[in-house]
Amino acid sequence: MGFRQFMAILRKDLIRELRTREMLVSMFLFVMLALVIFHYAFGVDEDTDLTYFTGGMLWVTFIFSALLGLNRSFAQEKDEQCLDGLLLCPVDRVTIFFAKMTGNLVFLLIIQAVSVPVFTLFFIERSYLADIGLFLLVLLLADLGICTIGTLLATISMNTRARDLLLPIVFLPLIVPVLIAAVSATTGIFADGADLGDLAARLGFLAAFDAVFMVAAYGTYDFAIGE
Amino acid sequence: MKKLTSAPALFAAAGAFLVAGLLLAFLYAPVDASSMGFSQKIFYYHAPIAETALVAFGIAFVAAILYLRDPDPKWDRLSYVSVRLGLLFSVMVMVTGMIWGKAAWDAWWAWEPRLTTFLIVCFLYTAYFVLRQVVEEESRRATYAAVFAIVAFIDVPITFFATRYMPEGLHPVVIRAGDSGMEGSMFLSFMISMAGMTLLLAALVRADVAAARLKDEIDDLKTRIGG
Amino acid sequence: MSIEEGAKFVAAAYAVILAVVIAYYAMSARRVSALTRDVELLKAEVEKREAVSSGD
Repeated sequence: MGFRQFMAILRKDLIRELRTREMLVSMFLFVMLALVIFHYAFGVDEDTDLTYFTGGMLWVTFIFSALLGLNRSFAQEKDEQCLDGLLLCPVDRVTIFFAKMTGNLVFLLIIQAVSVPVFTLFFIERSYLADIGLFLLVLLLADLGICTIGTLLATISMNTRARDLLLPIVFLPLIVPVLIAAVSATTGIFADGADLGDLAARLGFLAAFDAVFMVAAYGTYDFAIGE
Repeated sequence: MKKLTSAPALFAAAGAFLVAGLLLAFLYAPVDASSMGFSQKIFYYHAPIAETALVAFGIAFVAAILYLRDPDPKWDRLSYVSVRLGLLFSVMVMVTGMIWGKAAWDAWWAWEPRLTTFLIVCFLYTAYFVLRQVVEEESRRATYAAVFAIVAFIDVPITFFATRYMPEGLHPVVIRAGDSGMEGSMFLSFMISMAGMTLLLAALVRADVAAARLKDEIDDLKTRIGG
Repeated sequence: MSIEEGAKFVAAAYAVILAVVIAYYAMSARRVSALTRDVELLKAEVEKREAVSSGD
């Protein structure tokens, strides 16, 4: 019963966005523009080697893009009062959390699937295809952290006066550890290549972060989503 | 018992321990043998303030959990007061840390784990106040604040861990001030100061919670008159 | 760094701590006395109003 509800909510969110694609297009354009700006901001002369900046550039862009997406998806909910309707149904609050989180995760992954090749084209000289599996693992684990914290906090911030202004303020300090680990791992992969041994600590850290905050969200989501 | 733990008594005790700690630090403990020399004396208050700040946030964390389980305003008051004091102490950690940094390494700032973590902590708990500010309904304010206080406190050790074990690679920073094992006399001075700071926190919490309760009483009275 | 130079920094650090704690305590004390005064005033006002309304 829980799983069917989860799928129902998830499907609703996915279909709604895939039909209009407004949010996805905005997120994608944001990422592209950010990359262009990064080129001009950092690569002042032709010889500048940006290899050690690549992880940072990528994840900064993804984090702000995720914020855009989170704001948008919850603002829509609020405006159309979908959430109120949902709360009237006898569905477990936690199911709503996981459904929303997964929806946000899917959107983020879609954006990343399109952006990463473009990013590679713009900034990466060395082929990292050998480490692609590891790279995807880093991506997924970090995304999970971003979406877990993001969904929990977006639920709260949407119910406040400041709405989308509040979300970055509460979200960014909390996500710093994920940023540190993801950037560190990603730069390692892009710059010199890395194997599982090198990245084990960072991957473990990201996984632990995800687990801890999923439990925290599980415990507090009832309160976050309100009466 | 009430008399013993009243605010004035706690302040007095705190004062006694802090002065004693200060005297011990300067008259009893030897000057540090390392390159830091005399500036190491800052440590005797700087470290206790840091640990006390974390204790304050821990109190807020527990109070938040208690509030979610039983929405008594007294837990919200305790949580709010503790976060505010924790933030105050965190700012002091940063300021004294920077002064110490200038004295010891001739640099006002370094991206070392403790300073960086407390910087993020300051942002995190400032966000707590922004959150409280923008929630319109009083009933929700305490609940959302509690959720955030819980999530924020969980993030503090995670952030410290991340800043300590995943350096960006370009600036190896090895600052282990105060970890080089303390002699007995240094340890005693440190512990006395630590006790003093903790008592100071207790006194300030006591006083501020009482003030918060007064304020709530006033708001109630005002409603009774106005309504 | 000589002891004198070091001492200047140490003194600065402790001075900051002292100043902040004293300032916070003073602010807090002032706030509490203002609040206590308000509570007394409001309580008197409430009693007065309730006396009036029960007298009607």
